Amino acid sequence: MKKGLLWIALAALFLPLLARTLWFYRGIAQRPEIATPDYRSFTVPQPALQSQNVPQQDVEVAGGIVLVDYLHGNQFQPAEIQSLREAVEQRGGRLDTLTDAGGLIAKLKYANALVVISPSYGFTDSEIQAVTNFVGRGGRLAVFADATRGLMSADPFSGTILDAPDSNAVNPLLANFGISVNNDYLYNLLENEGNFRNVFFGSFGKDELTFGLKQVAFYGTHSVESDAGQVLFFGADQTFSSITDAHNPAEGGAALSDDGNVVAFGDFTFMTSPYNTVCDNGTLITNIADFLLGGEQEPSLAAFPFVFSQPDLQVYAGSEVKVTAATVAVFAKLQTTLQAVNVNMKIETKLPSEGDKLILSTFSLSDDVVPLVEPFNLQMDEGGKFIKVPGFGDVVRSGNGIVLFEPGKEGNTIILLAETKKDVLLFLSSVSSGSLQNCVLQSRIGVCGMGSEDSYSEEEETEATPTPTPGTPAAGSTGTAGTEQPTPTPVATGVG
Amino acid sequence: MDLTSLKWEQIRIWLLWLVLPLLIGVLIASFVPRPVIGLVRLEDAINSYTARDMITQINYAIDHPEIRAVVLAINSPGGTVVDTEAVYMELARLRAKKPVVIAINGIAASGGYYLSVNSDYIYAKPTSLVGNIGVIGYLPQTPMILEEVISTGPYKLWGSPRDTNMRQIEMIKLGFYEAVRLGRSDRLKIEPELLLTGEIWPGTEALRFGLIDDLGTETDAFVKAADLAHVRHYKAVDLALYEPYGIGNESYPFFLQSSEGITLPYPNKPGIYLLYIPQLPGKE
Repeated sequence: MKKGLLWIALAALFLPLLARTLWFYRGIAQRPEIATPDYRSFTVPQPALQSQNVPQQDVEVAGGIVLVDYLHGNQFQPAEIQSLREAVEQRGGRLDTLTDAGGLIAKLKYANALVVISPSYGFTDSEIQAVTNFVGRGGRLAVFADATRGLMSADPFSGTILDAPDSNAVNPLLANFGISVNNDYLYNLLENEGNFRNVFFGSFGKDELTFGLKQVAFYGTHSVESDAGQVLFFGADQTFSSITDAHNPAEGGAALSDDGNVVAFGDFTFMTSPYNTVCDNGTLITNIADFLLGGEQEPSLAAFPFVFSQPDLQVYAGSEVKVTAATVAVFAKLQTTLQAVNVNMKIETKLPSEGDKLILSTFSLSDDVVPLVEPFNLQMDEGGKFIKVPGFGDVVRSGNGIVLFEPGKEGNTIILLAETKKDVLLFLSSVSSGSLQNCVLQSRIGVCGMGSEDSYSEEEETEATPTPTPGTPAAGSTGTAGTEQPTPTPVATGVG
Repeated sequence: MDLTSLKWEQIRIWLLWLVLPLLIGVLIASFVPRPVIGLVRLEDAINSYTARDMITQINYAIDHPEIRAVVLAINSPGGTVVDTEAVYMELARLRAKKPVVIAINGIAASGGYYLSVNSDYIYAKPTSLVGNIGVIGYLPQTPMILEEVISTGPYKLWGSPRDTNMRQIEMIKLGFYEAVRLGRSDRLKIEPELLLTGEIWPGTEALRFGLIDDLGTETDAFVKAADLAHVRHYKAVDLALYEPYGIGNESYPFFLQSSEGITLPYPNKPGIYLLYIPQLPGKE
């Protein structure tokens, strides 16, 4: 009896507990193991660093001048081109800066290459023409755009974004060379150098610029493409353009023009510290230095006074020009001009056989000068009124001067010819100003107005009609006119 | 023993052996708590104040056994890295003991989604914004000196070189991606290269990519939480009622204020964020 009651009591005791528990709970929930990231294992991704520079003994000392554009609101600091400067200087070259608008044409006369880095403002039509002419003469152009450097600002209060990418500024300049820089950036989410916008390039077009490269890293690069030339750096299949979010094998990090004289990079940051030591970026920078110094302009009168290759210029005036006060004044003016371009002047009494020479003569040539003038096929009949100049036709002797240019391995020669001794001096004085702006130039022949009626003979004014000689390019066709005129103007006596 | 006495004896026996134990049993049973599904709300950016608020409530849920599961209702564009990580790690402690179900309301972007993946189940509305997986930050300035500021090193002013900062951001991204990968495991149906673009998707797309488990409401989240916790007839409790830590945090200026007093979606201070910064309306 009591045992039964005990069971009833126990049941009564636990029944509410059981009922309430079952009312609320369906069992015991087993918790899975919670997996969270092992934060301790994460490290800051670091790039593979390699030696920046090629050892000095392996460097070919070529020399030369690389002009760096500072004219167009270029988005870089001088310290950022230190690695390029060092590479150029290792090769005997030097960097020169372009800081005033009027200096572009003058400096392009002697530069081996022009470097344009992330400009904020575009080049003017005349500047583009000057650069195009420069490249046509054999100079080299390297353009570095950068997707992280264009003028872009966001007003946090209005949300207005001002976007002026440098691709807008460089594309008109590159258009003549069949290269274009897209207003985008390349990215790779899977394989990158520390950030999705820092992309690797491991496949290269064949050129001296890509020699010795296995992998380079660019840091926020536009994509670059070329119609006629070749893309130099190709990204992996997962390297996408921000415009399309897709891979385009026709685009890359850099492109070279068809003639090999113009290269455009979508990035500049790879040249700056510390990124210049990542992967093969250092080798690329030295390749770029080789490329820049490899530019060699074909000597032409348009480059005057940067047409001399020797440290000394020998001036030979023959026996016809006496040393008078007027002569000394003109020579002094010439000397000043030459010193400005690091050339010393020496006056010779005999015709030098080698080295850079400046020869002054009237149209009545002395015997020693005749062999130097003969290759130019001037027809100078004694007593005649005209000289037949190839490419110019009949040029009135009086009041005009003729400048001849003969480049040579042992030195370059410039010959100034005019009607009278006085005209020769006047001609030299005009030339001594440092330019041939009164001249209509072809590559190696120019005809110059003397600029003073005093020097004119009494002959009637007659216009010379340009009659291009077969086999001789028409004036301006080579783009070498000193005044950057596309076609020669008729040469007339009495041009004041 | 007369009849009356016998009746009283029987009553006494029943009282002693049945009613009394029953009453005692009822009394004891009353100590079996009614299960509670706790509700934690995140209705703002994740900053030091909202994070502390959430952590306090999470700890309350951990410490109180009657709370059998937690529903985390999220409407947040994310926030600072460290505060997001702090809440994320506390959620891991909670999940080790109790299920956590996410109910995404308007948006769970960036840090908001970082928290979401540390859960047992994720609901979102069809047009909730989900994703924006990645890190955003302002690179420090290049070293410079200021006449009025004296320091003892080039990076005393800004903290680190720009390159170091960039790489640290990448490391944070790795942590974020790993959290998503572990949290969603085989439910994730999206390739890393798409996931890491930072794209933000509506709930329907997020469901297709496996970023969430289902489309549903907070009510659905409670039902799911109860199911995962094996409870029924539960009580839903907003844990902020018990641990109202964040009093006055509305005044915390996490976001930039325009001169007109408009709150902009940009953080007030430079730094590194797990934050979705939407475009302002009507601006290019």
